[in-house]
Amino acid sequence: MTIPLGAYLLVGATLFAIGVYTIVAQRSAVMVLMGIEVVLNATGLNLIAFWRFVRPDDYSAQIFLILIVTIGAVEMAVGLGIMMLLYRQRRTVQVDSYTALRG
Amino acid sequence: MGVAVKAALLAVAMLMLAWLTAWLERRLVRGEPGPALAVALDGSPLLPNRDRWLYPAGPIVALVGFLLGAVVIPFGPGLIGQDLDIGVFYFIVVLDFVVLGIALSGWGANTPDSVEAFYRIVAQLVAYVVPLGMALVGAIMMAKSLSTTRIVAAQSGLWFIVLQPLGFALYLVSGLMQCYRAPFLEPFATGIGGGILGVAGGWPALLWRIALSGLLFLVAAMGAVLFLGGWLGPWLPGPVWMLVKTYALMALMLGLGRLAQPLSVAQMLALSWKVLIPVGLVNVLLVGLLILFGIGPA
Amino acid sequence: MTAFDIAQIVAFTLCAFIAVAGALGMATTMSMFRSGIFLMASFLGVAGLFILLAADLMGLLQIMMYIGGMLVMILFMVLFMHDPGGAMMAAMPGMMAPVERFFSGGLQQGEGRNGDHADMHAGNGEAKEADRENRQNGANGEHHAQHDGMQHGGSDMSMNMEGTHMDDMDMSMVTPVRRIAAWLAVAIGVGLGALVLLRPSWPTVTRHPDPRSAEAVGMLLMGKYMIAFEGAGFLILLGIVGAVLMARVERHPDNGGRDARVGRTDAPPQIAPDPVIPPSPDERPNEEHASEHHAVAHPPSHRRPA
Repeated sequence: MTIPLGAYLLVGATLFAIGVYTIVAQRSAVMVLMGIEVVLNATGLNLIAFWRFVRPDDYSAQIFLILIVTIGAVEMAVGLGIMMLLYRQRRTVQVDSYTALRG
Repeated sequence: MGVAVKAALLAVAMLMLAWLTAWLERRLVRGEPGPALAVALDGSPLLPNRDRWLYPAGPIVALVGFLLGAVVIPFGPGLIGQDLDIGVFYFIVVLDFVVLGIALSGWGANTPDSVEAFYRIVAQLVAYVVPLGMALVGAIMMAKSLSTTRIVAAQSGLWFIVLQPLGFALYLVSGLMQCYRAPFLEPFATGIGGGILGVAGGWPALLWRIALSGLLFLVAAMGAVLFLGGWLGPWLPGPVWMLVKTYALMALMLGLGRLAQPLSVAQMLALSWKVLIPVGLVNVLLVGLLILFGIGPA
Repeated sequence: MTAFDIAQIVAFTLCAFIAVAGALGMATTMSMFRSGIFLMASFLGVAGLFILLAADLMGLLQIMMYIGGMLVMILFMVLFMHDPGGAMMAAMPGMMAPVERFFSGGLQQGEGRNGDHADMHAGNGEAKEADRENRQNGANGEHHAQHDGMQHGGSDMSMNMEGTHMDDMDMSMVTPVRRIAAWLAVAIGVGLGALVLLRPSWPTVTRHPDPRSAEAVGMLLMGKYMIAFEGAGFLILLGIVGAVLMARVERHPDNGGRDARVGRTDAPPQIAPDPVIPPSPDERPNEEHASEHHAVAHPPSHRRPA
């Protein structure tokens, strides 16, 4: 217990910030997906830190994390499938070029 | 004894066993391509375009994976590196580091053949991981634990190979896939010049030899723990039985593997996803039925 | 301070450093492969933090899922991007911010495209070294000058090629919105950190969790959270079927999207002509494939009563 809860939350906050930077600044759709994974990971870290320090008897937090990781993986798979279709149409995966719906 | 002493002893023991495995394998599969191929230790021409960080990191990561995986194999009644509660799960995870090492080295060597080896190794990872999990789940269900010592203890009445022959066959096939031996040789095929083994020389070649032989040893050892009763046996001491069973299983795997034609990557993926995964699911169902009817350990 | 406490602090610092440095490396390095490997390292760091928090099953789950996941992601990046090794950007160190240059150290430089880039940037036929120097000064200058990131189109030396030459240059790691994004990320990080530090203390407890977490998680999954478990399985099935369906190549000859298929150079298979309406004489096709098909398709149509 020498490491307080706040330390883990700070690490989670830093990871979240870096993930947001990746999502906003990267031009390639695959990199944006990786930024989303970082954000999900930071959330998971917060979850487990709170589980350990506030309510260690209830293992629901670990179930929650399993589901988060599962959904992250499925979202990555579907996102890459969509990206394959878009690549066949536009020959590029840079999100700047998907402007057909721009008003 | 202290953790450091134990770790050092385990590392030395593993290195010796990996050497023994490599020697035995070369006696058994004389003249076969694949990771049993003699790797040039005299220093091949230095790769001109190799990535400065990724290429040397490959064999080191693979060796770390092998040494970490050896921690949960029980060699005797008290002889285990660390009896983790989630031992078998830890084992699967840590052996993925070998794949990561081959991927790093394949990309880092920066030649067309080695990058092709990187693609094939990722395909093989995708192919073996789900059938391997299915094969292990049967034994875990019967032993009601993920810890390797408890799985061995659960087989004190009857070995699991008798109760789960389908799971054992599945473990043989997916174990061969995990070790890149025949017939699943594609990442180290002679068509791409031996993959990363063809471009490695000097100390990376030595580390690759150790890591790949050690991988075969670990897969056979885990098979012996899960299906052949580990160190249990009548007259000989525990470690001797463990080594006998491990090398017998290794000889069986290599011998059966040589009977099949080498498969291409597409055929291997088709085999894995269309044949092995349904067989694995049927195996889980059968084991569940056996447990429901009370057959097996208490 | 026992040795165990010191070991814990050391382990925490190491894992936290790996997690944050890995994520930072993923966001800033020029090579796609290294980006994937950095993300893998970041996940390993977070898995170490999970193990420190006594959730070792979760840590191992992280490692297993994300080694495989990141390797497949790297494969997709190699498939889609022009420059997965970062060789193109490694040859233009003036374009990168200092942190990006740090994480891209040791990349092999691509030789072929240096000349094009120099011409495109300079606009006139200057020497390559002079171009690089100008670009470097220009990039550093605007890094200091544009703190609020208002005009990302300010200096047209390094920015104007984004709009004109996006087709053949895959500058996906160097975008004009990097500075805004960086300030946004810093703002979010500082905001969240302030929320963590300035909040009145959480109701923490000091008892240690039960180390047999696998058994407890299993009981919960099969008991209380059965619906979530089955729903997650169903979701994975949907995802697999959906992804496979999306990635299939269409083969019906009427499908308009077929022409956009990458790398298809031969003519599509011809639909058999209508047997009732005879083909018009000026419709004589010029391609070999079409003539073959028509040659095959004609005899049956002639035999039918017109």
